[in-house]
Amino acid sequence: MNYLMLLCILLPVLAGVLMPAFPCLKREGCRRIYLVAVLILNLLMALAICLTPHLRLQLLSLTPKMPILLKSDGLSRFFALLVGSMFLLAGIYSLEYMKDDPHRERFYVFYLVVLGTLNGIAYAGNLITLYLFFEGMTLLSVPLVLHNLTKEAVAAAFKYLFYSIAGASLALIGIFYIYIDSNNLEFTAGGALDASAVAGQETTLLVVSLLAVIGFAAKAGMFPLHAWLPDAHPVAPAPASAILSGVITKAGVVAIIRFVYFTVGPDLLRGTWMQYAWISLALLTVVMGSMLAYQEPLLKKRLAYSSVSQVSYILFGLATLTVGGVVGALLHMMFHSIIKDALFMVAGAIPSPTEPVAVSQLRGIGRKMPVTLGCFALVSIALVGIPPTGGFLSKWHLSMGSLSSQSGVFDWLGPAVLLFSALLTAGYLFPIAIRGFFPGSEGEDSALEQREPGILMLAPMVILAAASLVLGVFPEQWMAALNHLAEQMA
Amino acid sequence: MSLILPVLVLGPMAGSLLLCRVSKYRDAWGDWLLRGMSVAFCCLAAAVVAAVSRGDLLAFTFSGAAGFGISLTADGFRGIYGLLTAFLWLVTSLFSKDYFAHSSHQSRYRLFNQLTFGATMGVLFSADLLTTFLFFELVSLFSYALVAHEETPQSLRAADTYLAVAVIGGLVMLMGLFLLHHHAGTLEIAALYNACQNLAKPTRYLIGGLLLTGFGAKAGMFPLHVWLPKAHPQAPAPASALLSGILTKSGIFGVLVINCELFRQDFAWGLGLVLLGSVTMVLGAVLAIFSINLKRTLACSSVSQMGFVVVGIGMQCLLGSHNSLAVRGTLLHMVNHSLVKLVLFVAAGVIYLNLHQLHLDDIRGFGRGKPLLAFVFLMGALSLGGVPFFPGYLSKTLLHESIVEYLWMLPDYAFPARLMQGVEMAFLLTGGMTVAYLTKLFVTIFVEKNPRQNELDAPREPYCSKTTGVALVLSACLLPILGIFPALADGVADLGQDFLRGHSPEYPVAYFAWVNLKGAFASLTIGAILYLLIVRGVLGKNEGETLTYPERWPRFLDVEDSLYRPLLEGICHVGAALMRLLATLPDALIRAIRDGGATLMRLLAALPGALVGAVYAGATAILKLMAGLPDAVVGAINRGGFCLAQALDGLLDGLVSRLQQWFLRPARPKPFPGKLLGSFCRVLFPSDEEEPPPRPVFTESISYGLLLFSLGIVAMLLYVFVHAWQTIR
Repeated sequence: MNYLMLLCILLPVLAGVLMPAFPCLKREGCRRIYLVAVLILNLLMALAICLTPHLRLQLLSLTPKMPILLKSDGLSRFFALLVGSMFLLAGIYSLEYMKDDPHRERFYVFYLVVLGTLNGIAYAGNLITLYLFFEGMTLLSVPLVLHNLTKEAVAAAFKYLFYSIAGASLALIGIFYIYIDSNNLEFTAGGALDASAVAGQETTLLVVSLLAVIGFAAKAGMFPLHAWLPDAHPVAPAPASAILSGVITKAGVVAIIRFVYFTVGPDLLRGTWMQYAWISLALLTVVMGSMLAYQEPLLKKRLAYSSVSQVSYILFGLATLTVGGVVGALLHMMFHSIIKDALFMVAGAIPSPTEPVAVSQLRGIGRKMPVTLGCFALVSIALVGIPPTGGFLSKWHLSMGSLSSQSGVFDWLGPAVLLFSALLTAGYLFPIAIRGFFPGSEGEDSALEQREPGILMLAPMVILAAASLVLGVFPEQWMAALNHLAEQMA
Repeated sequence: MSLILPVLVLGPMAGSLLLCRVSKYRDAWGDWLLRGMSVAFCCLAAAVVAAVSRGDLLAFTFSGAAGFGISLTADGFRGIYGLLTAFLWLVTSLFSKDYFAHSSHQSRYRLFNQLTFGATMGVLFSADLLTTFLFFELVSLFSYALVAHEETPQSLRAADTYLAVAVIGGLVMLMGLFLLHHHAGTLEIAALYNACQNLAKPTRYLIGGLLLTGFGAKAGMFPLHVWLPKAHPQAPAPASALLSGILTKSGIFGVLVINCELFRQDFAWGLGLVLLGSVTMVLGAVLAIFSINLKRTLACSSVSQMGFVVVGIGMQCLLGSHNSLAVRGTLLHMVNHSLVKLVLFVAAGVIYLNLHQLHLDDIRGFGRGKPLLAFVFLMGALSLGGVPFFPGYLSKTLLHESIVEYLWMLPDYAFPARLMQGVEMAFLLTGGMTVAYLTKLFVTIFVEKNPRQNELDAPREPYCSKTTGVALVLSACLLPILGIFPALADGVADLGQDFLRGHSPEYPVAYFAWVNLKGAFASLTIGAILYLLIVRGVLGKNEGETLTYPERWPRFLDVEDSLYRPLLEGICHVGAALMRLLATLPDALIRAIRDGGATLMRLLAALPGALVGAVYAGATAILKLMAGLPDAVVGAINRGGFCLAQALDGLLDGLVSRLQQWFLRPARPKPFPGKLLGSFCRVLFPSDEEEPPPRPVFTESISYGLLLFSLGIVAMLLYVFVHAWQTIR
């Protein structure tokens, strides 16, 4: 069974790489079936790993201290499931979205390969393995940003690459430092680092931890390494934007969780200046993203800024170093994935003669695309965090975690900032939905020619929107697992 | 576990979707379904009241739903308000067929109407504050669609303001809930009082203030009342009735919960509420007097009446354990206001339906010769004005008595005595203003003549359908019945007061005693004076025979336009500018590093080149010098030798010629073919005049430099070897 994890990583990679090799896959129908089959198989394997006890597989050793190690624990299962389901839905969406794109084969190849590396991040068993897949994922996801090959796309892709690599090298400093003094650094919930090993070097540990957090957070779009995100996400094709915002930003979050909660251990960081610096950066990013999204006239860019803000909710939850905060962070990882995927899918479903679509062009669009905009309205409500949607659950737990974190002024400042950002979120999302359905007397004819997209695009949106509501209304059945995971970690 | 409450909450929501499907199929069916549902829910709500008055426990908990569980419960107050809500929804749904007969998007209205209904029921029957919050937010979202329904620019703007206030209020409230849950550990309303016993005062006031902001915004409390006079009139009339009659009470419900559970008998809180309530009360009434639009007047009046209710709630705190007058007054005033606003807004809707106008000057005289409409309007107006034998009189008497009772008790406290006297004056004055603006409305619509009265009186189809007429008259008849038989009203109060932690008074209130009638007459007198002097004298404008009402309310006093919107926009702009600066900082930094670094690197990269160049140029110069040296020496030697040779040559020549002269005289001998030595010398020492041999170009080539460099290295190596040798030795 241990090799199942390896299969999870290799299957999508091989399936992607071999895709151009099969002549029968040149036919559109075959390729569709192949793609969906691989994605479903991947999801099934992720489910299978959830049902088996914890797995462990040591592949090879770079040095005796640095084995390439795969492992499945609660976080791996959570992330692999999230990745698997989001890729399946976005994949189905892309079948129709990309159907007129001449280079779609290239897109699918990298789509699958990135899925494999994300699975690798999920099942990595120590920092070295994680770093390996993390860098691989960075490099392999660049073609997704690059896909359209417009001038902006190329510039954005290089910016993405630059920021990601800069971030990863910051993180690498942390990894090096941690490996110097310690022997076995297999991920352990609650921290693997021996406190005695770093005795006397606490300040250094805090500095490198902060560097590592900032470095990994480049992927998650946290200030100061956030600047690539609003450029890169909007230029990609819609399914890629959905994946970038919905899943790949979470890879950064997972890396931070692995570093802080599974390697260094939250106890060493609690109550230190490093925690406060981290909280401040996260909160600053929360406000910054929302503010800029509020002022942004272009739809996809607005959504990208929104991702900057929302992913930092997650980082804020992690920075509180409390059980409640971690539960909130995990919840928000899930719900933000669901919601942002749906939002980008809606943005992609609005046909536009002139890219990019401005928000002002969407007046009255709900009359012609009621289901699409209905999904948008529902997930907007969820993102603002109005009960009983899922966004409220995560906001509640994040705030409760913050209030119990005993971090001085941040106790109440955190929830206040989250609520302020929620207000701005309402400010930048609600008008789109409202003017879509209530255009007013003069707004009947929008400049865009709209019609409801086909079922392959519509179904994933509806499923995601429904999930944001249903999972929020009935959380009891699955929350227990998250609570358990969080209690182990913090 | 009784299922009746969840059915009341979720039934309308589920039904609304069904309604949507059916309406698409055939519109009339949708209408009948809506009526059927409204009747059914009204019966269910009545059953709840019956069960509650029997003492049955109706509680329902859906544990785990939405993360914290949804718990519903019913008691007297909730039952009464549930029934009132269902009743108002029933009457307005009967009316809405007429109202929307010629309008589009009818099915959308029905959908959101029923969604709002279910959510409102959820607020009223909620057993914990998170459930309250959940449904409260849903009410805000759903009722947005009701306000924006007409989609005129004004209604969209009003609806936006409404939503903004609701969202801001909701988020502020959520902050309060966070803190309350953190400090008290529970949000269950019944358990809140005990859980909050150990709460520190500042925390308690902070939480209370945050929650009050949220609930007060919905209730139209000053200073968050701005949305109400705009949103209520912009909604379609049936929805206006619901917004004013019920939705404002959902805010009051929350205020009551905080008041009774967090601040039971808290002096400062009570005083704060009384003052806020007084301001709301007076302000609303002033706005109503100035208003020149029928529905806007009614909406401002709602603000004012909510002020009365808030004053009553504050008095409950101030009066401590003897607060039964305030409790019952508050309760009755809420019920009274709901019924009155139902009647008045539906009547206003009937007028709008016929004239499509609401400006007082346009609808003047419409009611002449329409006794039924006049009766209905008069019932509402009389009750709202607090005229004896109407429920408004009962509730205002109770509220007034509570203030008077507090003034009696006051010497113990001393400080707020003057203040409370002021509040009492304001109370009576506002009562007067209420009478004044209602008289203004009634006289304008039903008494005065329009210049185009003939058009209005022209025979046309009945001005409202039979269904609407019957529903309206029956609702209007409820008011005098409640007022003439105070026992009925007392029954309502008895049933509802437990929720407000009140108890029956020690002795029955003599409503019609002279002491109490005095207050009503004072208000009526003030009202008559205000109407004659201010309304007719100052606000009105005589145009020929008729009195018209021009807009007299200065625009800059619109707090929303002159303060809130600019403030919010300003904050957003400044914040965004700041954030943009911060956000571009890393990029700018990177650009600076990149550009600066490139310059630096270019400089650095150029440095060795320059150095090499300099060295090369210097070396070349030296080498040229050195290379020129042998030439110069050779040249000098050459030239010197040549000169020497020439001198020698000349010397020899001279000597030879002298010898020849001396030996071969007189014949002059041919000169000796000399120069032999000279030519020899020329071969030996070539002179400058001749073509110099081609100079080698290696001095200018890099290979020469390299060669020298290699030589240098060789020399250095040699030195090293020697040094090493010496060291070894």
